[in-house]
Amino acid sequence: MTSQGSDPDEALLADVGRGDPRAVRQLLDRRLPRILALARRMLNDSGEAEDVAQETFLRAWKQARSWQPGAARFDTWLHRVALNLCRDRLRRRRDVVMAEPPEQADPGPRPDAGVLGREVSHRVEAALAALPARQREAIVLCHHQGLGNIEAAALMQVSVEALEGLLGRGRRALKAALADLTRDAG
Amino acid sequence: MSEMSLSRDRFLALAEAYGGDIARWPEPEREAARALLLQDPQGLGHHLEAAAALDRLLDLAPAGAVDAALLGRLVSAAPRPAASAWRWIAGLGAALGLGVSAMAGVTVGVVLAGHDREDLSADALIASSVDGGDATDSLEEPAAS
Repeated sequence: MTSQGSDPDEALLADVGRGDPRAVRQLLDRRLPRILALARRMLNDSGEAEDVAQETFLRAWKQARSWQPGAARFDTWLHRVALNLCRDRLRRRRDVVMAEPPEQADPGPRPDAGVLGREVSHRVEAALAALPARQREAIVLCHHQGLGNIEAAALMQVSVEALEGLLGRGRRALKAALADLTRDAG
Repeated sequence: MSEMSLSRDRFLALAEAYGGDIARWPEPEREAARALLLQDPQGLGHHLEAAAALDRLLDLAPAGAVDAALLGRLVSAAPRPAASAWRWIAGLGAALGLGVSAMAGVTVGVVLAGHDREDLSADALIASSVDGGDATDSLEEPAAS
């Protein structure tokens, strides 16, 4: 959870900077699904997630020629850019004054709770979306993106202890919201 | 780190924060956590399994699929090979060379014509040179493409 290590994308990124189309495809195959998933789980909106992923990589292309190895891992840089774009969008959502509260999927149990597949997936998605943004961010970074605690804490600009607090509170809330499903899953 | 001990409370806090897979816990605490688990496999194992059940549910949160159109847009916006820049520079160089040649040709022509027209003014010479410059502009585009 804590390793920083050398950058596995460094050589590939250099080839991207030289305009190698195969490197471009390889880098996109390797990193685009990951960044799209981050944005999707942060924003709970596939269209906005695509916009964030696209903007993140457009910025990456601008950086590719002048990338300085050793400053930061490229994957970390991508996460930072994508997270900031997600935060901007979440902030704008909060700033929008709405006549009615936004429609949200009901995270509670339904009469046919326990069925697998898409419905469970939607329940989990709704429960994740209902979390406070910082708790959701911590869970998405650590659980879904598989980042180490030091890396995730740095991205969130909090201490590791604070990160653990966010993770713990977030997971407790999810466990409560999905109690019927965790019993099934256990 | 191998001598590090872990309290039961810390074990539970780690499970609550990082989930039911000790391999995903902070590296410095994993070994001590595994040692503690051996001492109470049932009690602590129960907590781990509860955390793992939530992990499995979290894995079901949709990740979104990469759309072919998005991929296409990103591929087409990616940096181009540097060779194209060299081609552009080479084209520009060729165009400049042609421009210089054209200007020299015009100048020679004007000087030769001057034998017949003693009153050739400086304005006329400049105008002729400008005509040569326009000719290079028309040559530049195919050379750069």
